[in-house]
Amino acid sequence: MFPMERIHSSQYYTFFQSKTEKCFYIDFGQKVVGFRFCELLSLRQKIWAINIETHFDGANIHGFEILSLCNKEHFFILNTLEVLDLKDLLSGAFYILGIGTQDSVLATKA
Amino acid sequence: MKDIARQQMSMKVESMDMLNAQIQMEGRASASYLAMASWCDQRGYTRSAEFLYRQSAEEREHMMKIFKFVNDCGGNALSPEIKNIEHDFTSLEEIFETALAQEIEVTRSINNIIAFARKNNDFGVENFLQWFVSEQLEEEKNMRDILDLFELMGSEGVALKLIDERIPVE
Ligand SMILES: [Fe+2]
Repeated sequence: MFPMERIHSSQYYTFFQSKTEKCFYIDFGQKVVGFRFCELLSLRQKIWAINIETHFDGANIHGFEILSLCNKEHFFILNTLEVLDLKDLLSGAFYILGIGTQDSVLATKA
Repeated sequence: MKDIARQQMSMKVESMDMLNAQIQMEGRASASYLAMASWCDQRGYTRSAEFLYRQSAEEREHMMKIFKFVNDCGGNALSPEIKNIEHDFTSLEEIFETALAQEIEVTRSINNIIAFARKNNDFGVENFLQWFVSEQLEEEKNMRDILDLFELMGSEGVALKLIDERIPVE
């Protein structure tokens, strides 16, 4: 396997970076997906765009979100808890990577 | 050192989020001015229409300025989705009142991003937005000057024609 450095873990997921490859990995449990930086930003934007309230107000009764990653190379179906956990993972990882603020780390914990 | 991400992007991701929201807001302002221009154009307020067409173009320039900045900093600028633009207005005066209100909203939003950037030592973002601070003062003043005309000349009948003739166009 590549020389990966563990950056951050949430309850379900783990975030790695590889300095030699200049890319990032997320271990989703069933598979590990590699991300270029722009793909990582795009993942974050997709997760942030999810309106989690729809999982509770009846608009999205099953509480599933379909996520396509890395220009449609991967598809994931996430439930409410997984969406929140992925948000948590990314907030923490971006903060540790030096391009996120502590505010958003605290916000996802609240 | 965990610096690969930092090498790729020279602003905070949360600043990027706020700038993307600002892109959306400028895009919306552009579309909104276009709707106002159309209203004026159809009613023969030709200088008002011309003024508003130009405002619309300027708002698009603002949008593009932020769009480029986000991408130049290594961020991911998102093309805005714009829906529900108001096309109905009761009067020429309402158009300019709406315009002023819209500009005040934009000013507030810019100030909010600057406050955030300053708090989080995102000085590149703060510095970039300084231009918008002066621009917003100018925009608010322009709208206030036009609203003063209604105050001076009234908002009915022939006054509207006289006001339209005094709308500044380049
Ligand atoms: Fe603007």
